[in-house]
Amino acid sequence: MFSDTRDFIEALRAAGDLHEIEKEVHWDLELGAVSRLACEKDGPALWFKRITDYPAGITAFVNPMATWRRVAVAFGLPPDASLKEIYAEYEKREGRLIAPVTVAGGPCKEMIQRGADIDLYDFPAPMLHDGDGGRYLGTWDMAVCRDPETNWVNWGMYRFMVYDSLHLTGFPRPTSHLGKVFQDYYVAKNRPMPMALVIGADPISHFTASATYHIGGEEAALAGGLRGAPVELVRCETNDLLVPAHSEIIVECDVLPDCAGLEGPYGEYPGYRTGEMGNGIFCRVSAVTHRKNPILTVDATGYRDDSSTITALTGAIAIKHRLERHGIPVTDVNVPREGAVHLAVIAVKYGGKQMSREILETLTSRRALLSKIFLVEPDVDVYDIGKVLHAFSTKCHPAHGIHVIHYEGRANTLTPCYSQGERALQKGATALYDCTWPGEWSREWEVPVQATFDSIFPDSTKEKVLANWKYYGFKD
Amino acid sequence: MASKTDRQTWETFVRRPGDLREGIETPVVLRDLTPGKQKYQMRHVVAVLSRDPRETEDLLRVRTVVGVLLPETWGLKIIRALPTELPGRPYHDFYDALRRAAVSGS
Repeated sequence: MFSDTRDFIEALRAAGDLHEIEKEVHWDLELGAVSRLACEKDGPALWFKRITDYPAGITAFVNPMATWRRVAVAFGLPPDASLKEIYAEYEKREGRLIAPVTVAGGPCKEMIQRGADIDLYDFPAPMLHDGDGGRYLGTWDMAVCRDPETNWVNWGMYRFMVYDSLHLTGFPRPTSHLGKVFQDYYVAKNRPMPMALVIGADPISHFTASATYHIGGEEAALAGGLRGAPVELVRCETNDLLVPAHSEIIVECDVLPDCAGLEGPYGEYPGYRTGEMGNGIFCRVSAVTHRKNPILTVDATGYRDDSSTITALTGAIAIKHRLERHGIPVTDVNVPREGAVHLAVIAVKYGGKQMSREILETLTSRRALLSKIFLVEPDVDVYDIGKVLHAFSTKCHPAHGIHVIHYEGRANTLTPCYSQGERALQKGATALYDCTWPGEWSREWEVPVQATFDSIFPDSTKEKVLANWKYYGFKD
Repeated sequence: MASKTDRQTWETFVRRPGDLREGIETPVVLRDLTPGKQKYQMRHVVAVLSRDPRETEDLLRVRTVVGVLLPETWGLKIIRALPTELPGRPYHDFYDALRRAAVSGS
């Protein structure tokens, strides 16, 4: 399993999923535009070797896991593993936790800057989209923080923007785990919160930072379990936090409880730049450590970015487990890439009004990241969007089959369809489209019979047709 | 005072139409558009703005809350700097903090 970004890059090269760009590319929009187009074409990961204004040796690795092939490689699976196989592999491994180990040093300590030597402009943070609030150093990152009351350490992937040579602003949502720890403890006591922004760790550590994982759960142990080996951690220079020793860059900082800065707007994972701006957090950098010739890892955020694979995958499994814990008869869940982590397809043994309400309440009780849910029966393959759309179009009653829950203070402020007023109040709604037959309908008398080859013919006819298929003149 | 040759171009973001006012001291967040490694560095200032930039003034481009660049370029004269570490509340409106800092003379 990969110990760092560099190992992962080699594996992608071997799999044919890496494109190296030797031509000089500008950090100001050009790198972002190349990366965005490559992402939308489902292209390979990109390694920019020469970046304008920066010396040779400082490079950028972009879109690490934005395709299922690269997710499969990160998990040590064959690159052409199916989506179902990747889901199954994650579900199999995620229950097995392996605690991290602490080491005395590591490559991330090869270069150390403190005080007046700190300059965030030493790294080619790209201006990814025209009109973004600034240059984002933290995109494919993990922010490490600790809850001092429980000692719980959280890893989360959040956006961080360069403010000047010594400051960052960021937008871990207020409902995020970092946002919760920061507000509940540090802001309440007016104390700065130590944080480490990790850039370019091993791919599975970043995967876990982006994962939907429960409060109190240690992503470091989850990463160990998924990798099959403990993550090696090393202590920061200016605080007690532990960070992956093989990372490319570590930015140590204090999140200030009494300061504000402009953050955003930013072209985000839903595929839009909403008006989420100026409502984030403000950080003062206390030290920067990095490897020689550091590789800046970047997610070219937007439609079908890295979140469309990894956040979708872990979100789907988390939804399934949460529903199971609440006694919902769930059989399968998919968060399709095209839905930008706003849409879930949930298969249940039976639907109906009561079931729909229970699912909506279960999935929106603390924070509500989904805005649409398709509820289907187990005969619909949740991974086949054509079949899901067919079920939605034909089985969801337009007057009785749509259920909506409204909430305030926990909506996803990055959801594009919300107004600026709703965003300010974190106000929103989730709609569930019940694409199941009413439970009171008789299977013999009322439930329509599906007019498909599999459903509407007797077995004997189907067997005969399949046996004679080539006889009829078909090749396949 | 800026001369015609060294006038600088800045950019700012506003939440809604009418947030920028002409001829009075206004708190503004600026980002520096000077090419180079430090392009887009942020500053907080109090400035006087004009809709028709004079040759002696810096230039200010304006973007909306969703990042769209507006066609008009304003003139800008920086009166005083405000601190980078601006007193304010996390997860609350940054522009409120900027206005308070300007009033308190930080």
